[in-house]
Amino acid sequence: MKIIGNKITTNMSLFAFLGFLIIVFSFTSEHFLGYYNIISLLTNISYSGIAAIVLTLVMISRGLDISIGGVIGLTTVVVATLYSQPDPFPVWLILIIGLSTGTLVGLLNGWCIAVMDMDPIITTLGAMAITRGLAYVISDAQSILMFEETTDFISNGTIFYIPMPIILFLITALIFSIILHKSKFGRTIYAIGANEASAKLSGISVKPVKIILYVLSGLAASVSGIILIGQTSVGMPQHGLGTELEVITAVLLGGTALSGGKGTIYGTIAGVLILGVLFNGLTISGVRYVHLQIFQGILLLVAVATYEIKTRNEVAS
Amino acid sequence: MWLKKLIYSDDIVGALGIFLVLLVLFFSIRTPHFFSLINFYSIIGNIPAMAILCLGLTFVVLVGDLDLSLGSILGITAILAVFFFKVMHFPLWLNLISCVIIGGFFGAFNGAVVTKIGINSIITTLGTMALIRGLTYWIAMDVDAMQVGRITDQAFLNFGRYYFPEKSRLIPITLVYIVILYGASALFLNHTSFGRQIYAVGSNEATARLAGINVKRVKFVCFIIAGMLSAFGGLVLVAQLGLGEAYTGQNMILEVITAVVLGGVLLTGGKGRLTGVIIAVLILGVIRNGMVHLEQVTDISVYWRDAAKGVVLLLAIGLYSFRKSFNAKRLRTRQ
Repeated sequence: MKIIGNKITTNMSLFAFLGFLIIVFSFTSEHFLGYYNIISLLTNISYSGIAAIVLTLVMISRGLDISIGGVIGLTTVVVATLYSQPDPFPVWLILIIGLSTGTLVGLLNGWCIAVMDMDPIITTLGAMAITRGLAYVISDAQSILMFEETTDFISNGTIFYIPMPIILFLITALIFSIILHKSKFGRTIYAIGANEASAKLSGISVKPVKIILYVLSGLAASVSGIILIGQTSVGMPQHGLGTELEVITAVLLGGTALSGGKGTIYGTIAGVLILGVLFNGLTISGVRYVHLQIFQGILLLVAVATYEIKTRNEVAS
Repeated sequence: MWLKKLIYSDDIVGALGIFLVLLVLFFSIRTPHFFSLINFYSIIGNIPAMAILCLGLTFVVLVGDLDLSLGSILGITAILAVFFFKVMHFPLWLNLISCVIIGGFFGAFNGAVVTKIGINSIITTLGTMALIRGLTYWIAMDVDAMQVGRITDQAFLNFGRYYFPEKSRLIPITLVYIVILYGASALFLNHTSFGRQIYAVGSNEATARLAGINVKRVKFVCFIIAGMLSAFGGLVLVAQLGLGEAYTGQNMILEVITAVVLGGVLLTGGKGRLTGVIIAVLILGVIRNGMVHLEQVTDISVYWRDAAKGVVLLLAIGLYSFRKSFNAKRLRTRQ
């Protein structure tokens, strides 16, 4: 009972902080709560939010995926290059190839980490260099224009006045919160993250689970890449540069521990929203972009320090 | 026998050295201009900031932590050096000393958060990385240094461009810095009691604490050393380039981590030699330089260098974990 209580209060305090931010910004800027701003805010966070939700699972299993930004860049380049060929494949095939790009990278990551027992940080660091390098090689460091109806719909289309990226984000959040919080597979992830050796001893086949998680993470990054290509109408190797750090920050803000075994999808959604509201609110209130990073850094440190102190008090009591 | 030792021993330095030689041979055979004195000087001239940053990170990794903010510390040093020079009109020595002290201050901040509050070092430095970069842009905007960040003072430029003996173009001063810093650090790590404490803390924190080592102080000092070295690297880079920009050193840290890991320093701490680190820095430098030469004679795009870097890293770490499991198996069969 107490564990459940703690989980609720962590998420509650995150959403309370989110509410506080929203109230502050609605005073500092009259446009903050306008319809168009809210829609643009939510659309902007969906893109990194999808990657963040899947990364939550990876981080709960005590892994990390730094290759997200590289996969995003590679996906946009692969899709745009295939589309700009003189005799291109049909669009659905191009999109499938784009999605399988991330899946393949995820498979490589998962195989190295689970089977070869390599360190997740280093492995995905290498994968990041490889994907980013391949993106530069394929595109020859050029931006490739891509005006196409399907990708445009994925990024800018609406269903019942709700933009597609938001719908995709919500669907991803729903699917993965069910997987993580309601399924046997979800419990397995927590078990692996909390103690891999004892998970193995209690009969969980750790390796396939880990591989699946990294494959999903790569796939999610590819989805982000396809959304990005629709939003910008261009595939370029610099796409997604630094996204991995943004995504990791959001997940950590949401209360997922880097040491594994702890974290929720709701927390990550709150983390993504807090980062998005903070950036949007500060920008709309006239704070220059360069100052945003300072706030981001302070926010991350304060949030994690709070968790740390809270955990220590729990242990002490 | 030596081959067996090379493959199965835990020491990665020999294998790295052979790989470096093979790389140099490969580029020398395939391209006409790679194997020349001028080009070697150009490779050496491109690595000092990298090498110094890697040295700083090695200290932190040896105690089992990670510092992602070193690139940002290098960046803020670059802007501050210009700021002190252009706006405050500091003399050179004061400029250098204040920059290194400020770098040490940022390192101390990291160290304090990690040791006093107890936050994981990756998260801490992820935060301070953004924080310091934000401060850098702030300063750069207020002094307008992004536009006028050029340094014209010859004394400052000589800090990174001087040659020994003068006007001979024989030994660049940056090479002297690298040799002195690496040499001093190797002596410090291997032959002082504090250096051995660094290894002890990294290999097993609990044991080190039981042996009476002040673990928190050792970690704290390592973060300070890393910060000061990064600041020094930033100063060298500013002097070499003749300008400082707010985005100097952005995205540099990932390459630094690559080099340190490739050099055989264990991310879990307690293991690693500076010889390996400097060879890894050279390997990355040779790849970066050699790919440009290779592009001129073949169709291979120069952008393969990033992919090549990643592959080398994965291979190195893959070989390492393969060796680890192989040795464990061999040990088991012996018992």
